[in-house]
Amino acid sequence: MANAGLLGVGISGLLSFQRALTTISHNISNANTEGYSRQRVELSTRPPQRAANGYMGQGVKVDDIRRMVSEFANAQIQSSTSSYKHLRAFYDLSSQVDNMLADQQTGLAPTLQGFFEAMQDVADDPVSLPARQVLLSEAGSLVNRFRFLDQRLENINQDINSQLRNIVSDVNSYARAIADVNRDISMVYGNGTGQLPNDLLDRRDQLVRELAEQVSVTTVLQDNGALNVFIGNGQTLVVGDKAQTIAVINNQYDAAKLEVGYVASVGTISISNQLSGGKLGGVLEFRSRVVESSENALGRVALGLARTFNDQNRLGADLNGALGGNFFNDIDQSSPRVLPNINNGGAPMADISVSVTDVSALTVSDYRLDYDGASFALTRISDNTVVTSLAAGAFTGGTPLTADGISLSYNSGGFAIGDNFLVQPTARAARDIDLQISNPSEVAAAAPIRSSADINNIGSGEISAGSVVGPPPTNADLQQTVTITFTSPTTYDITGVGAGLPSVGNVYNPSTGVTLNVNGWTADLTGAPASGDQFVMTANTNGVSDNRNALLLSGLQSAASLLAGANFQSAYGQLVADVGVATREADVTSNAQKIMLDQSVAQRESVSGVNLDEEAANLVRYQQAYQAAAQVISTANDLFDILLGAVRR
Amino acid sequence: MRVSTRLYQDTGVNAMLEQQAKVSKTQLQLASGRRILAPSDDPSGSARVLQLRQSLSITDQFQINANTATSRLQLEESVLNNITNALQRVRELAVNGSNDINSNVSRGAIAVEVRQLLEEVLMSANSRDANGEYLFAGFQGLTQPFSRDASGNYLYAGDEGQRFVQIGPNRQIAMSDSGTEVFRAIQNGNGVFTTRENAANTGTGIMDPGSVNGSFVRETYTITFTQVLPTDPITYGVTDSTAAVIIPAGTAYQEGADITFNGVRTNIKGTPADGDSFTVSPSVNQDIFTTIDNLAVTLETGAGNDAGRAHFANAVNRFLTDIDQTLTRVLETETNVGARMNAIDSQFNINDAYSLQLKGAISLIEDLDYAEASSRLNLQLVGLQAAQQSFIRIQGLSLFNYL
Repeated sequence: MANAGLLGVGISGLLSFQRALTTISHNISNANTEGYSRQRVELSTRPPQRAANGYMGQGVKVDDIRRMVSEFANAQIQSSTSSYKHLRAFYDLSSQVDNMLADQQTGLAPTLQGFFEAMQDVADDPVSLPARQVLLSEAGSLVNRFRFLDQRLENINQDINSQLRNIVSDVNSYARAIADVNRDISMVYGNGTGQLPNDLLDRRDQLVRELAEQVSVTTVLQDNGALNVFIGNGQTLVVGDKAQTIAVINNQYDAAKLEVGYVASVGTISISNQLSGGKLGGVLEFRSRVVESSENALGRVALGLARTFNDQNRLGADLNGALGGNFFNDIDQSSPRVLPNINNGGAPMADISVSVTDVSALTVSDYRLDYDGASFALTRISDNTVVTSLAAGAFTGGTPLTADGISLSYNSGGFAIGDNFLVQPTARAARDIDLQISNPSEVAAAAPIRSSADINNIGSGEISAGSVVGPPPTNADLQQTVTITFTSPTTYDITGVGAGLPSVGNVYNPSTGVTLNVNGWTADLTGAPASGDQFVMTANTNGVSDNRNALLLSGLQSAASLLAGANFQSAYGQLVADVGVATREADVTSNAQKIMLDQSVAQRESVSGVNLDEEAANLVRYQQAYQAAAQVISTANDLFDILLGAVRR
Repeated sequence: MRVSTRLYQDTGVNAMLEQQAKVSKTQLQLASGRRILAPSDDPSGSARVLQLRQSLSITDQFQINANTATSRLQLEESVLNNITNALQRVRELAVNGSNDINSNVSRGAIAVEVRQLLEEVLMSANSRDANGEYLFAGFQGLTQPFSRDASGNYLYAGDEGQRFVQIGPNRQIAMSDSGTEVFRAIQNGNGVFTTRENAANTGTGIMDPGSVNGSFVRETYTITFTQVLPTDPITYGVTDSTAAVIIPAGTAYQEGADITFNGVRTNIKGTPADGDSFTVSPSVNQDIFTTIDNLAVTLETGAGNDAGRAHFANAVNRFLTDIDQTLTRVLETETNVGARMNAIDSQFNINDAYSLQLKGAISLIEDLDYAEASSRLNLQLVGLQAAQQSFIRIQGLSLFNYL
């Protein structure tokens, strides 16, 4: 028995070390395989055989081929990957906008400056047609720059849409692949050997990691070895060997914008706002945080500029002496929009319009109008605050909803409880801005009125140049000739055409003077006029050299026309800073997250990674052991030969 | 810690990539000279640079405006200078012409020159700038401001508009003066009242243009002389427009003695005849052309007998006070224009300094510190080299080499 035992023990060694060597070569072969976890052969002694004088060892056997894995490190990698990919996707998109906005060539700032410089040149020389022509072409460049920037943002929006499609299809294919691997793994579990399918587990872990690059997921391991995968707020993506699907759907307000929907039996439900992490989370966050607010901020500058410039131009007179018209198109009428929710139940579909009433109160937020059956509430989306509300009857009866410089009015149609509308006062303004005037002479550089004191006046009274009271439209009698005649040093009559005229016997105090407010103009009378002195306000006929309105138009460059005392440039600067901060934040935090990820990977590699030197050493070790085991067999053979030789003799 | 071969390699490669990224960024900074390559490099700095750039653009535009205004004011100054010279020549001619040695013929000749000068002044008042804009038309720059109608009156077609130009954030300065201001709204006489002899006077009384003595009571006064018989003493009385007595009739006349009443101090020389009268009336605005025209008419009319000489002398006196008012106004305007140019100049310097300061501020935020960046580049290159060399050396190490 002893000889047979020796041979048996030797063979057990040979076989075990062969397994070990195979496993080592498997490790070496997969040293660079993504997601591979190194494997190790677990050896143990075979059960000993009882002999009279004790237990006789029976050699070695392979217990298990163990996969060296740290579930903790894997979980860390999975969550770090999601966070990192989220920030990275955000950063990649955001840096595009970042570079575009402040660039000397593509940014808004240089054209804005060029426009106002040209305006000043008109103020310097209002008669000059070339100067006016330059102003128009600078205005054209400004308009084009607004549109260009908006178009770039629009392109980014389209890019986001196609990214969403790709990500959704990737997520679906990963979900199917995971479900397939789940099925295979469950089958192995089912055969009850207790041995684990190492390479399948690796493959599944790797699939989950790749899925986590697309979107943040949570996983739960089942008793049958299957891994269930959830996204968002617990929507199941994979259960056992079944994969659910997600799909892209249109935004409920804006069909040009895609959202991610979860395909359920009741229909596809938007889960965009529940998703975070991964490329998907980054892309969605970028869209809501940067693209939409950039469009709004840019639009607000365009709208504010167009409105204030138009208003001032309409208070002036052009080179032909006619009252000025709109310089830019009236975008505050055309671009603000109200988008109904596609799920609204009101029939016929309600028609609501929005207009901008005060650019200085305008925010960069969108708004949501909600109908709850009794009243309408307008919510500012940026901080989710109800800014105003109105009883339903009053609103449909014609009372407008007014807040934050916008005014919503009901036109027609019905409402169902729960109907809501997205209100975008500024989003499209940068796209819609255009030049209204085409003739350089239409720039209203002059004021429409001028004052004069009679040459035969005796007293020291003076009248100021006079200015037109905004906002437009101007008073119908603005350019009527109005005469102020002093009937005594302290009384005066105002005569001419206009509301409230003639007005006689007005009291004048020579020490304080008086501010006249007539026919939509205002002028100061000062000094001590004598009885019989006359002052006249007339239309500024032939007033081609007048630059008073041009000076006011130029002044808009630094005027605090927008919310919180911002001028156009500083509002744009705020946009640049906001995008810059968001980009920088994403850059810095993605770098930090990268370090976290690297650490998790290092941790995983330290447990699961293949070290070729280690494998080489093991190779040598098991090779030697194999040689030794072979030697044992040879020894057993020798022993048998010796025994045979002894018997033969 | 156990290190896998793969991590070992990845770490080396990543280290090199990272170093390369840093080198590339520094290289880009050095090539562009800018510290901020994208707003995210320094968001608040970038926003500030935008604002500073706008301020710079506005300030530079103020400089352009200032230059425009200066060249326009220089033009006005030279026109006013021409007018001053012409007015001074007219005044000289008036003084020369008033000399009794002149015959009516020579006065006629002087009158011709005066008329020429009048044309010159009129032309100057209708001056245009390089763009064809009239300088003194107020807002109606394409309308000729001054003209003479068929009956010899001087008309003004402009207005009182004054064009301002922005040369500082809160600083506007006038770059024009209206024709009314410079040439029309000029009080005749001594600026408060004007004296005039009755055209029917037959005596040789020559009235002094007078001066203001206290406060002038606005009223037209008549000084009437009485000498019933040639042997009687010459007496006078002063009445106002309502015939109220200011100085009672019968007051003795003394040649050259002050006559003072209601803020008027004047005197009369020569011998007024019985019934001669003189008026003192409040000044009214008289344009520069009418003033010169009056002189020309006076010179053309000349002086015949003694009474005519007195009329002539009175007219020349009146002209001299009127032209002095006119000269004062033109000189005042010239001074004013000069002061504005000075103000523009000093604002120009302020703007220049501010512009420099802005450029400095922009540079401080945006521009690269080359010394710092090049030493940084050196360090990074050393780092990259080290990463590459260590990668190669470490990669060569493998136990398999020895098997």
